[in-house]
Amino acid sequence: MYRLALNMLFGDRAKLAMLLCGLAFSALLMAQQSSVFFGIMSWTYTPMVNIRAQVWVSDPMVEQVNDAKPLRDTDLSRVRSVDGVAWAAPLHTSFVQARMQDGNFKLITLVGIDADTFAGAPAVLTQGRIEDLRLPDTVIVDEWGASLMGRMGVGPDGKPRSTPLKVGDTFEINDIQARIVGICKVKRAFTGGPFVYTTYDRAKGYTLGARRTLSFMLVEPQKGVTPTELCGRIERETGLKAWTSDTVIWNWGERSLARNTFWWFWTNTGIPFSFGTAVLLGLFVGIAISGQTFYSFVLENLKYFAAIKAMGAGMGVIARMLFVQAFTAGLIGFGLGAGMAQGIGRAMIEKGMPPFVMYPQILWATFVLVLGISFVSAIIGIIKVSRVDAASVFRG
Amino acid sequence: MSTLANTIAVRASGVDMFFGTPDNQVVALKQADFEARRGELIMLVGPSGCGKTTLLSVIAGTLTPQAGTVEVFGQRLDGLGQEALTSFRRQHLGFVFQSFNLIPTLSVIENVMVPLLIQGRPYDEAHDRSAAIIEKVGLKGREEGRPNALSGGQQQRVAIARALVHEPPLLICDEPTSALDKDTGGHIMELVRDLSRSPERCVVVVTHDHRIFRFADRIAEMEDGRISRVVDDPKLLDTAHL
Repeated sequence: MYRLALNMLFGDRAKLAMLLCGLAFSALLMAQQSSVFFGIMSWTYTPMVNIRAQVWVSDPMVEQVNDAKPLRDTDLSRVRSVDGVAWAAPLHTSFVQARMQDGNFKLITLVGIDADTFAGAPAVLTQGRIEDLRLPDTVIVDEWGASLMGRMGVGPDGKPRSTPLKVGDTFEINDIQARIVGICKVKRAFTGGPFVYTTYDRAKGYTLGARRTLSFMLVEPQKGVTPTELCGRIERETGLKAWTSDTVIWNWGERSLARNTFWWFWTNTGIPFSFGTAVLLGLFVGIAISGQTFYSFVLENLKYFAAIKAMGAGMGVIARMLFVQAFTAGLIGFGLGAGMAQGIGRAMIEKGMPPFVMYPQILWATFVLVLGISFVSAIIGIIKVSRVDAASVFRG
Repeated sequence: MSTLANTIAVRASGVDMFFGTPDNQVVALKQADFEARRGELIMLVGPSGCGKTTLLSVIAGTLTPQAGTVEVFGQRLDGLGQEALTSFRRQHLGFVFQSFNLIPTLSVIENVMVPLLIQGRPYDEAHDRSAAIIEKVGLKGREEGRPNALSGGQQQRVAIARALVHEPPLLICDEPTSALDKDTGGHIMELVRDLSRSPERCVVVVTHDHRIFRFADRIAEMEDGRISRVVDDPKLLDTAHL
């Protein structure tokens, strides 16, 4: 009977197309919006990805990585003295205005790293060498920032065009020259500003007037000491807050700064509400369109279901037929919707905007929700058919 | 007595059937008695609203009467639950409907296969048996087509094939010719008579169509919810009011 049930479904192509459109649109909306949501949320802890260290130490009042509260320089020595610390390096992060050569200003994320160890340096340099940061007035700019901060000129077609900054170009931070000695590849941040790396001491100079410039300390545990264990020791002995650097959302531990950052944005911004609304909308649209279309499919076939009942098919058989039809439509609709979401995602990833992270869990959740929509649709149909009297087939 | 009992295919005795609320009750059957024998084609005739379709539904086990007994091929239906009735219909009944009720999104052969698949027969067996009966009703070559591509007469042939494919002992036909012209209706009734003629089968036909009365072995006339008389010869009926 299930084969016939499927043939009944595929035989009505117009209804099937409508049903699949509803389910696919719903799956697309839920998967795409969830992926953009997690993409945006992954931007909130970008510094944790771009500035690599096993343990981060901050002021006890720090709640998330973008909200650095300055520490005293002496704290660095206190942390270095904790048993289990292999090394500890200072880190400065701040948002400052950079003045371009054309007079334009851009907000940048200034990152000051230890000039001796280069702890926290970008992993990939596409131009230049990290050691050149030891030269006077030098910075390394990220690729996207280089193009954002580029010089405005006129292209061959006569239209205005921005030429990305390159090694050797200069700009100013607080009236102090910054000469580019390298271009790096880093992940973009929620705050939107380009990452500009320099040495910790030079960062102090760029942020004139700031009494304290130590934002975080990057710490490496000794062999045999786990980051979590070291965090505990640092907190007990210094009273500072120590964090692990897990950034894998499904795998982060209690002490993860990325996790805290994620949940800070979750509870203090309207982002989850906004995207949650879109996901719910996808769910309701799916239920409305698919439920309605499936109901109308059942209505059109009602007299045939009544005939099948009269011929001796129990409600169990008919219910299973309807489930087979609804779940088959759900599977195809999910495939189409998830495929489209992947396609859109790839285009987004290539453009870099908006951020798009499609975890396998998002696909699973979308799959379950689409099957939920199919289930609701099937139940609506089953209720309708169960109320049909088999004797009605004799009433013309 | 025992011989007579063995010849009875359907027996309904003292059947009452009411619809509506106690304040606004419509009496469909009132102490209705009906008998059909094995090997015969019996027609139920009567004016609209006399209770033919209700009696047919009671015999088919799709309606349960408020009073009386119904026995089909030795099986009492009046005490059975819904599940048992459904199972009984699955094994013992074939249906030919007025409006054919062929599923338009399925092919001809798939429509014919439905009763066998409901019985839980394997798909391939159902396919082969359906192909054989489609050939018998003269539609060989049309198996894969859709019912809507067939004429009314051809569609009713498919419906007959579907009704007989699982070889039910009781064939129920509800106005099988009402949607067909005279010649086609005649051909359809010839087919019903030829294919269903068997000492172990009984055919009950509800009809208004006096042009097909000649195909009946007996005709039971209904009036006001009960059988008023049963005749062997259609000429004995006054068809003016039917």
